[in-house]
Amino acid sequence: MEEAIGQPSRTSRRRFIDLLLGTAALGWLVSLVYPIIRYLTPLPQTGATGPTRLTRDEAAKLEQNKFVIVPVSGHRVIVLQSQDQLFAFSAKCTHEGCTVTFLPGQSAIWCPCHDGRFDLSGRVVSGPPPQPLAKYVAKRQPDGGIVISEEKTA
Amino acid sequence: MNGNGSGKIAALRSWVDRRYQVTPLFEFLRHKEVPIGSHWMGWYYLGGITMFFFIVQVITGVLLLMYYQAGEATAYESIRFLTTKVPFGWMIRSMHSWSAHLMIISLTLHMFSTMMLKAYRPPRELTWVSGYLLFMLTLGFGFSGYLLPWNKLAYFATTVGTQIVKSVPLLGNWLLEVLRGGQDVTINTLYRFFAAHVVILPLAFVGLIAGHLLFIQRQGMAPPLGEKVAPRGMKFFPSFALRDLLLWLACLMILVTLTVFLPYGPGIPGMDWELGEKADPLAPAYPGIKPEWYFLWEYQLLKEFPPHLFGLEGPQVCVFLIGILFVIWALIPWLDRRAYRDRYSPGFTDFGWAAILFLTFLTLAGWDIGGGAQATDLAAMPKVARICALWTLVAGAVVIGVRYWKFEHRWFILSGAALLQVALHGLAGVSYLSAGAISLGLAIFVMATLRLLRSSGRREDTT
Repeated sequence: MEEAIGQPSRTSRRRFIDLLLGTAALGWLVSLVYPIIRYLTPLPQTGATGPTRLTRDEAAKLEQNKFVIVPVSGHRVIVLQSQDQLFAFSAKCTHEGCTVTFLPGQSAIWCPCHDGRFDLSGRVVSGPPPQPLAKYVAKRQPDGGIVISEEKTA
Repeated sequence: MNGNGSGKIAALRSWVDRRYQVTPLFEFLRHKEVPIGSHWMGWYYLGGITMFFFIVQVITGVLLLMYYQAGEATAYESIRFLTTKVPFGWMIRSMHSWSAHLMIISLTLHMFSTMMLKAYRPPRELTWVSGYLLFMLTLGFGFSGYLLPWNKLAYFATTVGTQIVKSVPLLGNWLLEVLRGGQDVTINTLYRFFAAHVVILPLAFVGLIAGHLLFIQRQGMAPPLGEKVAPRGMKFFPSFALRDLLLWLACLMILVTLTVFLPYGPGIPGMDWELGEKADPLAPAYPGIKPEWYFLWEYQLLKEFPPHLFGLEGPQVCVFLIGILFVIWALIPWLDRRAYRDRYSPGFTDFGWAAILFLTFLTLAGWDIGGGAQATDLAAMPKVARICALWTLVAGAVVIGVRYWKFEHRWFILSGAALLQVALHGLAGVSYLSAGAISLGLAIFVMATLRLLRSSGRREDTT
């Protein structure tokens, strides 16, 4: 690089300019793409959070079908009744995200999409789901209402 | 035509030619030929038929747009109004659905025929790749269009279908949210799919098809392997183009007949577009939820994977495997070294057949063939596997027989492995994946042994 000290060569100067241009082009591209990426990324869900009380309609459905699916803090939750006991689980199958249903006759929670079965503690009994269903807490209030809340992690 | 008329046409042509120099283009088209080889010419028409169905899709799609309203309270309702109240609304919607299925059928046949005839060999590698991308876009069209009526079946099919991108390493969660417009499938998903279905995908498709057609126009259609310069040719204009047109007319008649007599599809799962109930995110999925027939093999493969495998979640491994298969399929022009040098490559012909047999079994099993009413019952699964295996074995035997006696093929290692897997799984009760691993291992062992024997034989020849 001795010649560069005395008289900067044309190629190194051109290289430097190319580098500047390339960096500028890259920055320009990022400034175009970034807003689009942010625009497409959905906002976090808003809405009611915390314990949710079943509406009269939902409670009636639970009484009639032995299960009902309700939104709790923006998640689908299945509330079910088996031998007068209340259970609540995430209704989103851990396999491919279908909404599960309750089979009262077999005391099983079943996902019809790929035939995944869970027992009444949310564990996988058979089929392809890789994880148990997340548990929620369903409590009957003194006034007869039912409140669903997320399980406290100890 | 009298002399005066042709004189006017000639004058018009020379007027255009003075401005845009079109004579070389006319000359090119006049000399364009389609190679006539020892193979069946029918394969050359499948691309054109696919394009015909695409044109039908564009026309009927634009007509549907005049009534469709994307929205929570309007999407389902507008389709119901369209099919029940609008004169011929049912017909336009049915034509769009039928043409979509027929387009996928002709496209699949087109793809497998170019694959088996090795039309992808140089200099046509990029024609294969652009066709491959067009195939992917077509699947995207099918998938995104499926959600638009916002009915129950579409809702769950989309839930399962989109969940698959979650398995992409690192970016999975973000991609899933961008695709769905949120954590779950909601009306936001419908807006995104609508934009994709009517704007993004069509733009990309038209661009790619322009490239695909340009490549074909520049290079001509591939002559059969081993006949580098086709001995004879058929004039594209008018001989081939008129045959094309006649076939398009026949396709239109078939399409119209199906539309009128079976407006909601043949009624088999995966090919049924009865509107049904409106989507309800708070309703459980119900038995018999199945994707469209061309996604059934993936649906069934997802079912065959255990919850955990190699320390990963089953679905992740499954999606990874499907990804590998798709990448291999895209790279065939470069993987097939023998066809690359314009030599017969029986291994890749057999690979194509093995792929067909692999898809056949999974599709039949996804359809619960032989499962009857208790198809959702766990106890019915071995029975379904057995019956589907028998059908696949019969089909495989016929294919191998025809190839052996009619086409004098002698290379059956991969299709044999595909059949062995089906037999082990369906008849001997080995799990699908173990059967696959055994069969693939055996096939690789046989191929390696054959190669060793051949190379040692060659060495003996030289000494």
